[in-house]
Amino acid sequence: MSNILRRIEIPIILTIVATVLQVTPYYIEYKPLDDAANWINLWVLLIVAWATFIGPLSLIQVHGKTVQRRSSGWYYSVIVLVATVVMAISGLPLQEWGLGTKNPVYSWLFTYGQTALSGTMYAIIAFFITSAAYRAFRAKNIESTLVLVAGLFMVMSNAPFFTAAWPGFKTIGDWIFAVPNMATNRAVTIGAALGAIALAVRTLMGIERGYLRGGGD
Amino acid sequence: MDMLTLLGTWAAVFFTLGLFSILYRENPWYRIAESVYLGLAVGYQVALDMKYVRDQWGGQWSSSLPMMVGFAIAILISTLWYFRFTKQYFYLYRWPLAIIVGTGIGAALRTVIFAQFTTQIIAQAKLNLWVPTNWLTTVNNILIFIMVPAVVMYFWFTGSYRDSAPMKVVDKIARYTMMAGFGSAFGYTILTRYSMLIGRAQFLLGVTPNPIEAQTAFIVIAVIMLATMIGYDLMQKKKPAKT
Amino acid sequence: MGFIDKLQDIDRRWVYLLTWIFVLFPLIFPLGLPVPIQSESTKWYNSIKNIPDGSVVVFSPMYGTSGMPELFPMTLATMHQLWSKNVKIIVVTFWAEGALVFDMLLRQMDPSAAPYNKVYGTDWINVGYIPGSEPAMRAFGEDMAKTAPKDYINGKDTKSYPIMAKINSAKDVTLIVTIETGTPGYPEWLRQWQEPYKIPMVVGCIGVSAPGVAPYLQSGQVSAMLPGLTSSAEYELLINRKGLAIAGVDAVSMSHILVVLLVILGNVGYFATRRKS
Repeated sequence: MSNILRRIEIPIILTIVATVLQVTPYYIEYKPLDDAANWINLWVLLIVAWATFIGPLSLIQVHGKTVQRRSSGWYYSVIVLVATVVMAISGLPLQEWGLGTKNPVYSWLFTYGQTALSGTMYAIIAFFITSAAYRAFRAKNIESTLVLVAGLFMVMSNAPFFTAAWPGFKTIGDWIFAVPNMATNRAVTIGAALGAIALAVRTLMGIERGYLRGGGD
Repeated sequence: MDMLTLLGTWAAVFFTLGLFSILYRENPWYRIAESVYLGLAVGYQVALDMKYVRDQWGGQWSSSLPMMVGFAIAILISTLWYFRFTKQYFYLYRWPLAIIVGTGIGAALRTVIFAQFTTQIIAQAKLNLWVPTNWLTTVNNILIFIMVPAVVMYFWFTGSYRDSAPMKVVDKIARYTMMAGFGSAFGYTILTRYSMLIGRAQFLLGVTPNPIEAQTAFIVIAVIMLATMIGYDLMQKKKPAKT
Repeated sequence: MGFIDKLQDIDRRWVYLLTWIFVLFPLIFPLGLPVPIQSESTKWYNSIKNIPDGSVVVFSPMYGTSGMPELFPMTLATMHQLWSKNVKIIVVTFWAEGALVFDMLLRQMDPSAAPYNKVYGTDWINVGYIPGSEPAMRAFGEDMAKTAPKDYINGKDTKSYPIMAKINSAKDVTLIVTIETGTPGYPEWLRQWQEPYKIPMVVGCIGVSAPGVAPYLQSGQVSAMLPGLTSSAEYELLINRKGLAIAGVDAVSMSHILVVLLVILGNVGYFATRRKS
């Protein structure tokens, strides 16, 4: 029995059925099919939500091992574990026990911890991109010169200092945005749309199995 | 300002400067902040996802017995996710994953051909190549008319076609178009990254509506962190080298 | 190493220090540099201004705390303009943190107080976060009450509120206002709401996302776009409500001056070195 359940065909068939149930009602008006698709969709939202514990459990698995073995930097793993567990438990929707998103611990950790940390993580990139632009942006040939010139004009068109000094910076920036940038992104959008359709067809034919890999199978 | 808010402000400044300290070098302040970030980032979403499940139960799913059975089936399928932590029954984890992937692909596939393909082609075809009242619009439309197919062909055509003379011209037009496009992307990336840095700087300086107490915390914690890192480096320099 | 060679090889820590100086200086000593109003912010302002009375607007803060520095000012300003109008607003998000970001907004703005005097449940409702990304957006468009059975603020049945008496699905919506930072974002809105129901949408986004919106702006699928902090500052001036964006725009100018100077410096050094060799 377990050999039958292991077969890769089962998840492939599930994928195909789920895909067809989403696509078909859009083109064919048939109420029972539409209703089935809507119910599956609502089930899917529950299935996605219930997967939320995978992250904390994976973290506990990895960092728990580090702490257990007293590997290098194990004390940092203790911090990770405490932060995860406290955040996850304090936020559980058990208002009867005073837990939930309005719980003071959860609210405090989110406002003063998560907000500061995630904002800073992305802010650091400003330093790296400045250093990288300074070091790597060189007018070595026509193409790199084009990137350099377009990039500099775009930077200047986004800064009020430059656009107030000479409105031409904004005009040139708008032109770069509306013409070559738009052309590039339109071509990428068209290509991506066709790629998405090709990927969907491959998945429906059972050829695309990348999402099912893992676990040594 | 109450004690908890003051403590929170100091904690936020500590975390902010802790992460920024990586700019000097890797150090324990950074590792502490990073560890807290990892823990909080993974843990916060549990609250919102579980709230949604509870709200759904409180809504339609508890209204009748068949609905309750449907809810139970959904939860049972969801439980299969957690078999990914076992070696023997790992394959069961693929079943809810397959349903999610299939639904996601289906939801996108329904309208991608219209929203991102035909509408774009129609917009391209509708370009007015002669606007007598506005020469700039005429030039721009002609440029777009040439550039878009050039970039599309650049990505589509591989093989011996690329060596032909017409394709070499198309390649050049496509590359120059994309280079200008990447320059535009660079310009906007600079705006985004600096906006995020400015946001954090406004917090550290206590710019309204951020708490003014952050200023004091900024100075004190920055001095402590710099002093410890620079002091440690100086001490390491003074130590005689081991032979 | 000669001076010319050093021009293109300044130690990165000096570059970091310069970055700090160029960002902190205008925040500590505001320069009051002029902020010209450009077309993007004007178009956004007019798109919101021209919403007819009685319309239903779906407002979606689709970002987390990482995007707050760039998007929170425009979120505050947009909600100010929306709450100043006679429209029904449904707040929904498909980003987990979006619900918590909107909580932060409510700590800074009280829609029930003057000058807005809006009644929760009659003039606006917050249904919070719905997990599931694109399928969730699809489900919400098909049947709002089923997909979001409880509201986020009070935890009561969504259908029990007067605002939801006549609003069942995306067919009843006049405009989508989405402020976002990534996926799910405007492509998903286009596929699940704009294309099937032909609902106009306006997109407020971080600068990095702006280039990708260009084709949809040109084709008319997106009516207006507000990209980044500079446009947010202009928008704050248009609605006469100065906030964090205007406070930070001097620093935007200074930091951009630094980037331009450094790139030019690096190239001067490069060309001088090339000529030498």
